Amino acid sequence: MADLTLNEKRLLLALAPRGRAGAGALAEALETSEEAVVQYAHLCADRGLAAIERTVTKTYTLTPEGEEYRKSGLPERQIFEQIGDGISMKDLQALPLSRIGIGWLRKKGWIAIKNGVAEKSGEVPPGDDEIALAAPKEGMPGIPDLLKRNLVVEAEEAAYAIAITPAGQALVETGLDLREETGTLTRDQILSGSWRTANLRRYSLQTPPKRIYPGKSHPYQRIIDDVKRILQDMGFVEMRGDIVLSAFWDFDALFQPQDHPAREMQDTFYLDRTEPVPAGWEGVRDMHEHGGATSSTGWGGIWEAAKAEQCVLRTHTTPLSVKYLIENPRPPVKAFALGRVYRREAIDPTHLPEFEQLEGIVMDEDVTFRHLLGYLREFYQRMGFENVRFRPGYFPYTEPSVEPEVWVDGLGWVELGGAGVFREEVTAPWGIEAPVLAWGLGISRVGMLKLGLKDLRQLYRSDIDWIRESPVIGKGE
Amino acid sequence: MAIIRLNYEYLERLTGTDRQIVIDRLPMIGSDIERTLEDHVDVEFFPSRVDLYSTEGVARAMRGFLGIEEGLPDYPVTPSGIAFSVDPALAEIRPYLASAVIRNVRLDEAGIESLMGLQESLHWALGRGRRKVAIGVHDMDAVKPPFRYLASPRDRRFVPLDFTEDLSMEEILADHPKGRDYARLVEEFDRFPLIVDAEDRVLSFPPIINGELTRVTTETKNILLDCTGTDERAVRMAANIICTALAEAGAEIESVLIDGVACPDLSPAERIVGPADCARLLGLDLNAAAMAALLRKMRFGAEPLPDGRVRVLVPPYRADIMHDWDLFEDIAIAYGYDRFDAALPRTFTTGREHPISALERMVRAIFTGLGHLEVLPFTLTSEKLLYGRMGREPSPDVLPVAKPITEDQSVVRTHILPLLMETLEINRHRELPQRIFATGDVIRGETTMQTVAAVSIHAAADFSEAYATMDALCRECGLRAEFAESADPAFIDGRRGDVVVNGKIVGVFGEIHPEVLAAFSLEHPVAALELDLTAVPGYPGRQDTP
Repeated sequence: MADLTLNEKRLLLALAPRGRAGAGALAEALETSEEAVVQYAHLCADRGLAAIERTVTKTYTLTPEGEEYRKSGLPERQIFEQIGDGISMKDLQALPLSRIGIGWLRKKGWIAIKNGVAEKSGEVPPGDDEIALAAPKEGMPGIPDLLKRNLVVEAEEAAYAIAITPAGQALVETGLDLREETGTLTRDQILSGSWRTANLRRYSLQTPPKRIYPGKSHPYQRIIDDVKRILQDMGFVEMRGDIVLSAFWDFDALFQPQDHPAREMQDTFYLDRTEPVPAGWEGVRDMHEHGGATSSTGWGGIWEAAKAEQCVLRTHTTPLSVKYLIENPRPPVKAFALGRVYRREAIDPTHLPEFEQLEGIVMDEDVTFRHLLGYLREFYQRMGFENVRFRPGYFPYTEPSVEPEVWVDGLGWVELGGAGVFREEVTAPWGIEAPVLAWGLGISRVGMLKLGLKDLRQLYRSDIDWIRESPVIGKGE
Repeated sequence: MAIIRLNYEYLERLTGTDRQIVIDRLPMIGSDIERTLEDHVDVEFFPSRVDLYSTEGVARAMRGFLGIEEGLPDYPVTPSGIAFSVDPALAEIRPYLASAVIRNVRLDEAGIESLMGLQESLHWALGRGRRKVAIGVHDMDAVKPPFRYLASPRDRRFVPLDFTEDLSMEEILADHPKGRDYARLVEEFDRFPLIVDAEDRVLSFPPIINGELTRVTTETKNILLDCTGTDERAVRMAANIICTALAEAGAEIESVLIDGVACPDLSPAERIVGPADCARLLGLDLNAAAMAALLRKMRFGAEPLPDGRVRVLVPPYRADIMHDWDLFEDIAIAYGYDRFDAALPRTFTTGREHPISALERMVRAIFTGLGHLEVLPFTLTSEKLLYGRMGREPSPDVLPVAKPITEDQSVVRTHILPLLMETLEINRHRELPQRIFATGDVIRGETTMQTVAAVSIHAAADFSEAYATMDALCRECGLRAEFAESADPAFIDGRRGDVVVNGKIVGVFGEIHPEVLAAFSLEHPVAALELDLTAVPGYPGRQDTP
């Protein structure tokens, strides 16, 4: 019990001879306010040294309308006194106060109306409401009616009485140290050595500290950082690039046919800009039209440069890979990109018009589909997905294509990204001869899985309290 | 993607095996099971495998994959002697036609539903919404050959499917539900495509609607197929897929003479591939015999050649085989993706962070050290937010998207600060102080660049805090900058500063103007800043000052 503050000790000392006292009396004795006494008493009560009794009394004050009626009577009473034994309805309605009074007269049964004439039902003694109106007090039967008629207003007043418990008495009997306490040590106390004799206040571990939060990265950014670190650890160089691309880079260079549904206005954000097709575009055209010098038939039809020149917000990060390979045509190349991509989607909990995509490529003389699966397994396992399996997939620019799936407890096998070997139709126009393994992955999906979110929007329109409460390490409670 | 409904009984009848065996192995040829119900399963196939868009097609593939029936399916075609002519005036409208006669179909209600389903899926995947290909099936016995595909005047009348009275073709485009859906495909032409019989009765107004006359019912015995469109390869492929699917169900195929040329041509295409190319792509050590065996499981005709290569016969329904590698993928699928020995290559490479990412990472460290929380706001936003609510003049550098879905995502951000103000607005009921920052891409003109922005809101936020924070940021970034009076209207006059490097404004800071606070429903002062990372030493291409 040694961690009582001076104020609590003084309260117990004041209570000890009294046993039980009102907060007002104690406040006077301790020369402080009632609120302070109640606060000290709560701290004592938490330790079982005192008990607090709270009594609530209700008081009533008359509204201006109520005050007027207290003096001159309720409207129905005033009319009742005026009308003799009977009165025609027409005359009754002409009386002042009749708008309020007639209803109550009928409701209370003070008059009966027959053939357009109101007749008194006899003499009526003062009702509960009239008695209460004269001097309203808690518990009077007329009070509810007065409240309903808005003639009185109710107020609650709490009064506190505090009693010392046997444990409190026992503590007082052992004697209490009433020297002044020191909270925060002062420079003087430290330098002079007076801290040695000071009564240093003891602080309770039962009182939780104020919550403070460090400055920190966004929880989703930490996942992005982890992914990037994993790829750098695996020997990949980071690529970055423009968000605005011509359709040539976003689609045509990736062998997406010009009539592919994904290229339509309803799926892609087009811009009112064009960019000329780059040097070497003829190879891409040939690939689309007839497969160039490869064993491919191409898509057939006529390839239109005008369609390729329209600019878009990149719909994926794969164009960065093709551009990077053109700039770095010699194997080995291992590169990745992680950036925002854009799809023309309406916002809902699982769809957003922008999100992060990861892109990885490996170009080397002797890499094969088997190595692609090896990279994927290694990557997903480093991401914390122990069980990985592979199923056939389809993407216009890879062959073979594969859809990796990872096991997530509670969800089962979850498709996470897509991968494949770049088609020759993609690499041949640029003279890239070594095989190129490629994979892509929606990182916002990983973010949702890892952060346990059901709504993607939380990643981008964040609740600050969510960021504050998300621990840097692990997921939190 | 197309969802295909597989009726269990029908599937078992066509595959000759238990439904569960089929369903268990389906994902390994490339499908997603959407839902399993009492009498059927709904599966999704890739848009490249249009031949799997019918129960018959799935059964054909699964019989091979499960080893029940391997190799090239044989589809005999006998001549019907029926002629079909194509009007040269269609050349600029819808030039290509494929056709066939399909005899002895036995369609129950489920069979008709399956055929209609296949037709719709092909319209979507191969036909690109009927533009490239539209398919019509007709009760052959209701009409009389020869048939003519012609360019008709637009006022030609006939009774379209689901109607009882005749309409002109123009009225069909305006009043028939299918007419309204597809009018855009033909309305610009002076004449419309039309198929009629020997007595000038209308079979179809492709790609819009068939005539009621040739409606296919459970009574239908013989079918006339028409596929029309703008892409010859796709038109022929659609006819091949329909014909072979119905042949799988037991019907007989007869050819039609289109301007003298027999159609359909269900003969396989030939490709010759070698084990070296296959091994180089897949990393599997397979000889020609092993390759051929796996290809036969995928329903190709395949036999090893004396020179060690493989002669492959591609079935007429495989639209996706464009390149030798497409065959190798099928070899991988037949081999089983789950059986591959996943391996890592031994080549040495070193990883490296992009210099811009490194800068962003260090900027994050500076701001988290200053006690700020990071947020990752959208890059798509509105001019109203970027400029209107900030009290700033619209920038000529802003990049609008052509067809935004909503005003809120109609431009790409040129600055991040306004997005942070919006984040404060979203969090205005959360405890203060709030100090947040964000760094990332912005687009000015067409150029992707990066900035960092930070805001602090609390009762004592002021110019001094903004100045001190910007000063700390510049110092920590090693940026030697001058601070000058700013004219940025988002801030209070006399409480704002520009960051100037080599005479160019690269950042701004100060106390947000009360009008701007009101525009974001904020009730406390905000200290704010934004700095272009392009000015920071280490940014690629930056001219470092000595």
